[in-house]
Amino acid sequence: MKVKGFLKDVGGASAVTKRRQAAYDRASAKPAHKDPMGAVAKALHPGLIPLTVESVRPASKTAKTIRFTSEAHLPYFRAGQFLTLVIERDGYRVTRPYSISSAPYETRGEHPCVEITVRRPKEGGFIANYLYDEVRAGDTFLGEVGLGEFHYEALRDARHVVAAAGGSGITPFVSMAKEIKNGREDFDLTILYGSVSEDDIVLREELEAAACDRVHVVHVLSGDNPGWTGEKGFLNRDIIKKYSAEDTTYFVCGPQVMYDFVQKELEALSVPKRRVRFEVFGQVRDITAFAGYPQEKKDDTYRLRVRIGVSETEIPARASEPIAVALERAGLKIHTACRSGSCGFCRIKVLSGKYFVCPQNDGRRGADRDFHYVHACSTYPLGDMTVKVNI
Amino acid sequence: MEDRKHFRDSYDAVVIGGALAGLASALTLANKGKKVLVLEQHNLPGGVATSFVRGGVEIEATLHEMMSIGPKECPLKIRNFFDEMGVDIEWLRVPDAYRFVDDVSGVNVLVHPGTHGNFETPAKEIASACDDADGSVYRRVLELLQLCSRVYDSVNILSVTHMSKPAMLLKHPDFVKTAGYSAKDVIDTFHLPKKAVDILSAYWIYVGDTLENLPFTIWAVLMADYLGYGSYVPKKFSHEMALKMAERAIAMGAQMEFGVRVDKILVKDGHVAGVRLANGEEVRTRYVVCSAYPDKAYTQMIEPASAVPEGAIKFVNAKTVGLTCFSVVLLLDGSPEELGIRDYSTFYAPKGMDLKKIFDECGTDGPYNYITSICTNLANPGCTPEGTCIYSITALPKPEGWMGVTEENYEELKRKNAEYFIDMESKRLGVNLRDHILEIVIETPVTISHYTGAYRGSVYGYMHTMDDHIVARLQMSEKENYIPGLAFAGAHQISGDGMGPAVTNGRKGAKIILDQMAEEERSGRKA
Ligand SMILES: Cc1cc2nc3c(=O)[nH]c(=O)nc-3n(C[C@H](O)[C@H](O)[C@H](O)COP(=O)(O)OP(=O)(O)OC[C@H]3O[C@@H](n4cnc5c(N)ncnc54)[C@H](O)[C@@H]3O)c2cc1C
Ligand SMILES: Cc1cc2nc3c(=O)[nH]c(=O)nc-3n(C[C@H](O)[C@H](O)[C@H](O)COP(=O)(O)OP(=O)(O)OC[C@H]3O[C@@H](n4cnc5c(N)ncnc54)[C@H](O)[C@@H]3O)c2cc1C
Ligand code: FES
Repeated sequence: MKVKGFLKDVGGASAVTKRRQAAYDRASAKPAHKDPMGAVAKALHPGLIPLTVESVRPASKTAKTIRFTSEAHLPYFRAGQFLTLVIERDGYRVTRPYSISSAPYETRGEHPCVEITVRRPKEGGFIANYLYDEVRAGDTFLGEVGLGEFHYEALRDARHVVAAAGGSGITPFVSMAKEIKNGREDFDLTILYGSVSEDDIVLREELEAAACDRVHVVHVLSGDNPGWTGEKGFLNRDIIKKYSAEDTTYFVCGPQVMYDFVQKELEALSVPKRRVRFEVFGQVRDITAFAGYPQEKKDDTYRLRVRIGVSETEIPARASEPIAVALERAGLKIHTACRSGSCGFCRIKVLSGKYFVCPQNDGRRGADRDFHYVHACSTYPLGDMTVKVNI
Repeated sequence: MEDRKHFRDSYDAVVIGGALAGLASALTLANKGKKVLVLEQHNLPGGVATSFVRGGVEIEATLHEMMSIGPKECPLKIRNFFDEMGVDIEWLRVPDAYRFVDDVSGVNVLVHPGTHGNFETPAKEIASACDDADGSVYRRVLELLQLCSRVYDSVNILSVTHMSKPAMLLKHPDFVKTAGYSAKDVIDTFHLPKKAVDILSAYWIYVGDTLENLPFTIWAVLMADYLGYGSYVPKKFSHEMALKMAERAIAMGAQMEFGVRVDKILVKDGHVAGVRLANGEEVRTRYVVCSAYPDKAYTQMIEPASAVPEGAIKFVNAKTVGLTCFSVVLLLDGSPEELGIRDYSTFYAPKGMDLKKIFDECGTDGPYNYITSICTNLANPGCTPEGTCIYSITALPKPEGWMGVTEENYEELKRKNAEYFIDMESKRLGVNLRDHILEIVIETPVTISHYTGAYRGSVYGYMHTMDDHIVARLQMSEKENYIPGLAFAGAHQISGDGMGPAVTNGRKGAKIILDQMAEEERSGRKA
């Protein structure tokens, strides 16, 4: 068959040029910029916004709930997500992630607010102690609200969710429970909350208030608690099984020891991987405990050359602390949020020098590894280094 | 500490945006010895050409297939460009072109690409799905594809050489003769059965408008490139491509800064004079290549606004903002074999190939009934841990459909469409995908906007239509550089959408700037 007919027409090219010119001539000369998708993206991900402490109230004997309001728009986050607080103190500027313990619906309506609940740790507590002891109504912070992947997803998760919580790890579940009770999340939630004694239970009142036909709270006490008639012991396979439906998704949030324990128990119950979700760990307490970390270096301090734009500066960096902390200690800017290697906000380039990446918090992309891009919050110097950070 | 110097006193050129187009510009400029600064607002290069990590597993965010790569021994123009620039990417060949499934006509056919510009295999496979006792459908499909191929060859030559009109007609008759027509006009002259046309239309949505309104030239390029040479993906996802481009540009002397948003392009005495960053810092340069949409640049970014000629506003208002995307990306807890997924790429029309109806539906907030599914592992085995695979389901709505999105209805819009897609694909595949989801990520126009700032979340720039024909774009391009010193790079430029075209557009943006620089030097006005 021959290509024929109009194909003899060679005027086509000029015809389309005329058409295009005509479209141009018809067009308005008034700017007509309209971008609702951009507006929603900005509303949901506003970056750092100002947060003002409205109130501080006890949430247990060792925990306090801090309520923030904002002169900016509070994003409509997902129950279970965290906010990252920027804390400036003694000339340091650091960040810490805290799960939001209030519900998304509370960012709406007459009195928009978000709450976090901070527990005073037994050891350490560089920032936690400060928030617990010193923060007062009227104090102001910057924060990034609504981050992380630890939230229910109807298309992925079972309709029945069992939450395994320990310590301050209860916070994301309080948010979920409130949102369910308010009719804005659609799943059944049973919270198994492990504490040593009744005194350690954080946000007990909120939990009781949120209980309803779709939200059940089961306290499990591990200490010696005479008179306690509820569940006792650890969050072991028997208790987990007792409260599970045939198809259940498990959400786990708590201290490292609890993660390790619950993970083993779930494995023993042959729960498929897709039915288990762990919140990220945060900065590990002791990097030297990880296999592969060169023990002989743990007390060293190295020289870290930091390139910022076309400038360079040098700071000390401890082998036992992530590069992000070295930068913070030196008063240099580094954008962090999850501090767990997963959000990638703190991505920097290593130009030279050896380093160790925390295997538990290694969220690097494959090509990034090849070119020595690392996440500063989970990368430890093993010698003098040069890095390039964002300006 | 705050007054630390971040930038040089001035740059030959500033590239706004470090995605594929911007990086192609940066490479081209740096290769010519220019001092280039690339400013990218995100903390990664690549824009939509990226990957993400969920549950410890890296997952491709967007790329289905890269065109214009070709096999090593028969390289096409993007592979050649990367080779020239020393960008060394590990390319994997995609095994098939696509499976096309239409539940109304009952067509279900797997099409493979030819090699080295040979179209016999795809023509045979397409004909085999139609009644073709005498082989005439095969012959006509083959002829049509060969016509596409000649047009494609001409486009590639003409995009780098200048030629008089008579010479063009003599040497590139098929290109010239088909230039004024839509894909439908030309396909109709081959009198193919509807089934064959439907199968040949599968890629349609990758470039936009229905065949009636889609320039044949664009369709021909797409068909010839994909069906004649096959497509490719980088081994470490599209992030590998973006990162290697960025690293190469840096090695060639470009300064690249992430996490820096450009708010304003400063114009003085009728010429670009610099840019202002979101943090208030100013950088001096007389040349800017901008990845932000002209819509955004001309209405929000140029300072003073009075430096924008009326023509520039008419220019953007005359155009149709191209398609955006809705994509459900799944990490599944089975290998493709275990789950019965056999094809890398599937185009699926559960309610038939009525393109007009499908395209009208694209103008709503869903659900959509024309989708592309990709199982990444079938081109890139081992890209996720054993016993898992990546499966994505994508529709390409028009931005109009999402103009009603709000913070409050967003989750529901997401869920509604994702659910529809997952159930639709579960039915087609015969496996309930919901029983296998390890991770799910839903990408929407809002997601695109969040990560790239693209106007209305568009990934397609401006639509290829008969009113904005590529041939006309090329003929008229010179008078459309409205502000001296400012060029653009992105899907919103002449070659339109796609990662290959993004690279081509980026090179073109650099060339506009290089020409202006040379002109300025000649006339001795150098600042
Ligand atoms: C997703 C997520 C959600 C969380 N939710 C909650 C929650 O709801 N409630 C809650 O109580 N906690 C929560 N946490 C834990 C919380 O983020 C903090 O880890 C916790 O409050 C302890 O912080 P800290 O600084 O007091 O701890 P520390 O153990 O004191 O941490 C000290 C670390 O800070 C660094 N450091 C020490 N001195 C300096 C200095 N001068 N400058 C800079 N850095 C220094 C060191 O690297 C040291 O390792 C959450 C964590 C994550 C990851
Ligand atoms: C789901 C999906 C699947 C796709 N599949 C394919 C496929 O299989 N094959 C294919 O070829 N194409 C595919 N595409 C389309 C293709 O990816 C795009 O058309 C192309 O990559 C666009 O590249 P770009 O450089 O023009 O723009 P973008 O990637 O949008 O980049 C723009 C860049 O500029 C930056 N920027 C913008 N404004 C500013 C500012 N003011 N300051 C600083 N930085 C700024 C942004 O952050 C971004 O990095 C797909 C797209 C999607 C969404
Ligand atoms: S802060 Fe999230 S990866 Fe480092």
